[in-house]
Amino acid sequence: MIKGQPTLELDHVSAFLREGQRVDDISLLVRHGELVALVGGDGSGKSLALLLAAGIEAPLKGTVRILGIDPALAPEEGYVDLRRRVGVVFDRPALLSNMSVFNNIALPLRYHTALLDPEIEDKVTEALRLWGIEHLRDWFPAQLMLSDARFVGLARALILNPEILFLDDMLLGLDAWGLARLRGFFEGVRSKRGMTLVTSAGAPTKLFDVLDRVLFFQNGRMVAEGPPAEVGRMQDAAVHEFHSV
Amino acid sequence: MAYASEVLYLGYLASKEIFAASPRKRGETYRIIARQVIFTGVDALPPVTFIALMVGLLVIIQAGTTLPHVGASGLLAQIIVLTIVRELGPLITAFIVVWRSGTAISTELGNMRVGKESTALEAMGINVTRFIVMPRLIGAIIAMICLTVYFDLVAVVGGFLVAKTKLTIPLAVYLEDIGNALSLADILITLIKAVLFGFTIAVICSHHGLSVEGSPTEVPQQTTRAMLNTVTICLVFDIIVTVGFYS
Repeated sequence: MIKGQPTLELDHVSAFLREGQRVDDISLLVRHGELVALVGGDGSGKSLALLLAAGIEAPLKGTVRILGIDPALAPEEGYVDLRRRVGVVFDRPALLSNMSVFNNIALPLRYHTALLDPEIEDKVTEALRLWGIEHLRDWFPAQLMLSDARFVGLARALILNPEILFLDDMLLGLDAWGLARLRGFFEGVRSKRGMTLVTSAGAPTKLFDVLDRVLFFQNGRMVAEGPPAEVGRMQDAAVHEFHSV
Repeated sequence: MAYASEVLYLGYLASKEIFAASPRKRGETYRIIARQVIFTGVDALPPVTFIALMVGLLVIIQAGTTLPHVGASGLLAQIIVLTIVRELGPLITAFIVVWRSGTAISTELGNMRVGKESTALEAMGINVTRFIVMPRLIGAIIAMICLTVYFDLVAVVGGFLVAKTKLTIPLAVYLEDIGNALSLADILITLIKAVLFGFTIAVICSHHGLSVEGSPTEVPQQTTRAMLNTVTICLVFDIIVTVGFYS
């Protein structure tokens, strides 16, 4: 993927979930290497928009193109290949409960690559070290604190070096040290510009400073968009209230 | 009708995956299949042993003490082959596997749905049918075949040894009579039933587990439905096979 090329395109996308979440007529273009956050309060539609963008939920109307591919129209092989190039971290980390932390992170490697066990061992150990969770290697998801589980989810989503990472509700479960680790990661992504990052947040955070763009959601619609500093200065009542918290 | 077509379609997809998995993906699949065989087959040996002994004992004592009164002592082996090998062996083994592993499959998959684990698998490009359903299908079939043969052996031989206090027939004569009464067709049909029941248990229980939409309260509801439907359909299949081959 060439820098500056569109990585993610949502064209007039609308969707509705049984739980009452909805998004209406959202259009969005994210370029390769950009760091973007979808922000807004509970029920604003930011998480659904992220899941639509990640190809996890299907839109009722409109089209989604991830890395130039519409997941709804991709043949099985193409779809699997697309999923290998995309990392997703859910708000609840959705780790496989019957597998240890090590095996959770190793799973995409075992399933999608022909790597041998010693190579997988090296890669997973490196990922554990990178996120400071080596001591959790043999733990099971039920034993983890949410912040640790989220970092395991991140390590798993990044193990295949995806071209685009979707991180739902980036602040969820993180303490000050967790946020610092996440900031370090964002800064690393920003400096290299090798991966596109799409994340979401339900509250303002200093982490926005590291991002390129913030898209503000309210009642299922995208109401403001721009660099973090500009969106914070907008006079829209809801955006202003969100940033003044 | 919609239910039957959904279950059959899942069974078709899972069966197709047995041959579709590429070699590089088979390693992880084999690991899951091995775990399933151990859980469904090896771990089920104690309850299967106990129940097989009890069933064998009851049938052998009833037949062994009643038949001489009607002058039909020579039919003991045939009665045992008829009831245990042809019918009770596969059927009771299936019930044990349903109660033990069927509930586990349905609950585990239901909880995976609640915890969005299956969504996470899809997000990683991991085919849920290949990764979750197919290994359980193979595991249940292998375990059912092995457990059914084991049940028949324990019920026929162990049951006789336990019942020996009430019977006067020597073991060697008893075993020879059983050998004479047992035909190749009996063994084949028992194995066919075991495969059919294993398929039914894995597919129906997986279907109900994967039908959970997100609420934890759905998990026990779907598990109960899975148990009832699996037992009913196993009985229907048993009747169809028995009527088809023996009538």
